[in-house]
Amino acid sequence: MAKVGKYDLPDDLHHHKGHMWARLEGDILVVGLNDFAQQLAGEVSFVELPMEGDEVKQDEVVGTIETGKWVQKVCAPVAGAITEVNTELEDEATLINTDPYGDGWIFKMTISDKSEIGQLMQGEAAVEWLKKEIAEHEPK
Amino acid sequence: MYLFDLGHLPGQQSMLIFHALARMDVEALVVVSPGMPLVSVGYFQDAQAEVDLEYCHEASLPVMRREIGGGATYLDGHQIFYQVILKRDNPRLPGKISEIYQRFSQPAVETYGDFGIETHFRPVNDIVTADGRKIAGEGGADIGPCMVFVGGILMDFDYRAMSKVLRVPDEKFRDKVFKSMEENLTTMRRELGQAPPRYDVKSILIEKFQDLLGPLEPAHINREIVKKMGQLERQFTSPEFLYKKTPKVVQGVKIREGVELLYGLHKAPGGLIRTVQEVENEQIQDLGISGDFTFYPKLELGHLEVELKGSARRPKDIRPRIEGFYQRRQVQSPGVETEDLMKALEVFEE
Repeated sequence: MAKVGKYDLPDDLHHHKGHMWARLEGDILVVGLNDFAQQLAGEVSFVELPMEGDEVKQDEVVGTIETGKWVQKVCAPVAGAITEVNTELEDEATLINTDPYGDGWIFKMTISDKSEIGQLMQGEAAVEWLKKEIAEHEPK
Repeated sequence: MYLFDLGHLPGQQSMLIFHALARMDVEALVVVSPGMPLVSVGYFQDAQAEVDLEYCHEASLPVMRREIGGGATYLDGHQIFYQVILKRDNPRLPGKISEIYQRFSQPAVETYGDFGIETHFRPVNDIVTADGRKIAGEGGADIGPCMVFVGGILMDFDYRAMSKVLRVPDEKFRDKVFKSMEENLTTMRRELGQAPPRYDVKSILIEKFQDLLGPLEPAHINREIVKKMGQLERQFTSPEFLYKKTPKVVQGVKIREGVELLYGLHKAPGGLIRTVQEVENEQIQDLGISGDFTFYPKLELGHLEVELKGSARRPKDIRPRIEGFYQRRQVQSPGVETEDLMKALEVFEE
């Protein structure tokens, strides 16, 4: 697990510029919000999940989270169809805070175009990108 | 960056404007009041569960869901909304949501200060007076390519109208909401004896925002914005959007940060138990217990309420108080046990 500043950034994941992470499990992509985004957002109080079966485009807003009256978007890292959503989040939305890369996953999806996985960031590229994001957005 | 100083806008346009500008990627400060009262429902709220829609219909009060979090609110011309729309990569925008609230609350805090009302920002998203009463609530959202921060200066507030639009279990609870709001929420009129002229307040507010945001270029609503607001109005008032089911469970009414009224209902073998609690920082401040169960001697129910006041809302605090009360006072309540009372109080094991 890479650590960029005080934020975890697992090496084995694919990272989307909308601060979503994606883990390939066979033909299915598991998706969640990264540690940087959840720390900046604060305690998550509600999650609006996508619908299973929804066909989504890359970058499309598929859900929302609420933290302290602030509503933020959750987007799809690639195009595909939603196959499963994490209903545990309806009762315990803070799983996104406590375990963003584990029990706090948000949805699973199929992948329409595998080349889009290659557009996501990994390894050193992801680390460099997050460093820039930290410089730009982290409280001074 | 533009300044839309819009005065009073009809219908729901005072809320639709920031939704439209954010989608159109227009950075702006909007200062506006509603021309007619309306009810705004938080993005994660279930409108049918939280708002008395029949009453709103009878009172000709439009209801709209906003893309901002928080609770149902009664909005009228005595409130001056400030709405800041910034592109997500604007360097003036802190990354951390809690810092956005703090930074963008400052103009409203300073505006109140210029009128002699000492206030400060209190996390997560309230502006409160020196004695801790809320005088502005704020919220925000990512909308389109922008981040939107909204809040409102309370020149005056119609507490009675606000308590009427909420869906509550009974009129006693509604009255409690009204009284609790009167205690915990204040306005410029209450603080100063009378509300200052709107023109003076909004002029100072704009000046304070300019100190924070830089020069603002006056702008007007053009045809394109009107068209966008029209599209959004159709979407926001559609039954699919307005009545959509959400994961938020209704348990009561939040009055201000840290203070809420909770109601509980539990069907015990001995009958139905209702509770109304005023809770401050998870501690019971006031409590009413009623229902159709047998409690003998009947007068002891009032003593049980007193016994539980001041208790933290945790099983380990509540249970010994109830059990101790039953032992000391020799009370009988067939079919209503300690666990039933705890369920009616919405106190559950972790």
